[in-house]
Amino acid sequence: MNAPNRYELYVLEEGERPVEVVEDTKIPNAATIKIVKQDHTLGNMLRAQLLSMPQVLFAGYKVPHPLHPYFLIKVQTDGTVAPTALVEQACQKLIATIASLEAKFKREFTFKGVDGAVPEAGPYGQGAEMSWPGQKDYLDL
Amino acid sequence: MSSEPEPVVRIRELKHDRVNFVLENVDMALANSIRRVMIADIPTVAIDLVEIDSNTSVLPDEFIAHRLGMIPLVSTACDEAMRYSRDCTCETNCAFCSVVLELNIRSEILGLHLDVTSNHLEIAPARPGVMDEVGEELSKRVENFGLPVGKNNPNVPPVLIARLGKGQEIRARCIAKKGIAKEHAKWSPCSAVSFEYDPHNKLRHTSYWFESDAKAEWPTSRNATEEEPPRDDEPFDYLAKPNKFYMEVETDGSLGPQEVVMKGLQELQTKLANLILGLKAEPEVDILQNSEQNQGPGPAGGSAQNAGSWNSRPTGGAGGGWGASPAGRGSGSWSPTTNNWGNRSSPNTGGGGWGGSSPANAGWSSSGDAAGAGWGNQAGAQGGTWGNTATSAQGAGWGSPGQQSNGWNV
Ligand SMILES: [Zn+2]
Repeated sequence: MNAPNRYELYVLEEGERPVEVVEDTKIPNAATIKIVKQDHTLGNMLRAQLLSMPQVLFAGYKVPHPLHPYFLIKVQTDGTVAPTALVEQACQKLIATIASLEAKFKREFTFKGVDGAVPEAGPYGQGAEMSWPGQKDYLDL
Repeated sequence: MSSEPEPVVRIRELKHDRVNFVLENVDMALANSIRRVMIADIPTVAIDLVEIDSNTSVLPDEFIAHRLGMIPLVSTACDEAMRYSRDCTCETNCAFCSVVLELNIRSEILGLHLDVTSNHLEIAPARPGVMDEVGEELSKRVENFGLPVGKNNPNVPPVLIARLGKGQEIRARCIAKKGIAKEHAKWSPCSAVSFEYDPHNKLRHTSYWFESDAKAEWPTSRNATEEEPPRDDEPFDYLAKPNKFYMEVETDGSLGPQEVVMKGLQELQTKLANLILGLKAEPEVDILQNSEQNQGPGPAGGSAQNAGSWNSRPTGGAGGGWGASPAGRGSGSWSPTTNNWGNRSSPNTGGGGWGGSSPANAGWSSSGDAAGAGWGNQAGAQGGTWGNTATSAQGAGWGSPGQQSNGWNV
């Protein structure tokens, strides 16, 4: 009865900051960023993107404890860009990549829908395909 | 790495409940994040609260409640067509944040059992007087929104909930809510997501057990035809990285495969955009912290006014030693003992803390690919294998149409 709500694992609390930056005092151009209410889905993707950027000397992330819903990402740059600015760039690059993937998926789906005759009257199809109000064009049940 | 090739997507097969595609020129981390987000971050509708009026069946209440939760409900466009109860203005639940289904059935035939199935779930008549609020969610719902997938479709075998003998009855009110699979796997739109790369194991991310010859004893994956098999004299390229990913997304019918993929990509972008916003908001906090620090080195030495502002930071102090460590940023008042990394004389020896490549749960994985901890079997794409996610067990399951012949003969 007194268990915390499970959504607290992925929803920010009232007034809670999603990001907390701690700049490293012993290593130049390094910072540790705590990202709250996010997990490996974001952390690992971000880490990989950072490592592919030439200004990065080090990038790593960890989820310190599986029951604590946050991860830390540590970045050290070569000094040309601030670590936080670089993380922001990494996010922007990832968004661009995913947006391009999205456009390609959309094309593929419409292409398959046209000549592949996908909306066959399959098991679940019958009801769902009838009456979609027609705002989004990608719903195809 | 500056001129990375454009990512490529090729759908190999698209069916009403599944899509099989190949992803090229993307990083493994990104491919894995797409997989994870499709499994765990897309909202659907599922029965979450069950008020049992009467249950004289052989199954206990909680058993039935659990089975009801597993039934996939039509959730088309539910990000717009429904609110989360936690965001709603209502007291417990209302038409905007829930769908109420009723189960009301009694067996009267002697000598024959009666199967209670998902087909017996009916939308409850709206309670009068509750709907005075205005909201556009309801107009975005499809006709059968919130009903069990395939209800009253003769081609779809329903989900068996219980069997009743003569005189037994179940009367229950089921409140279906919107949620995501991070909270409970019943909200996952995916019954299985497969993920494979490097079918010839050229990267040696896995090793095959064998009697005498691995090549002769292990069948090749059907994705092996997509890639050149290695020559026998080919040297091992230890720098090679996986580049081509074979995925199949199978849904439980609550959402179509297209919606799952597109919503998944959108969700990833939302996560990234929120991170950018969070980073942009951050500098003000730094300034605040610095001014605090200039006045006093820590909570102990702070003035009353400072103490107040320390307490007002809800996240400060989380994780033990972190508390005072936001200090020191150019303020000169930083003390190494307050720092979490403190007692280690030099953090960049990397002895424990920042090890470069440890994929262990709490280690910093700077090169480990799919990390291990976290969401049970949903974490971690395993090297070169087919990672299945066992989610919503639907009765004895018609998650895959191929299994329908086996049916649910309990
Ligand atoms: Zn409500």
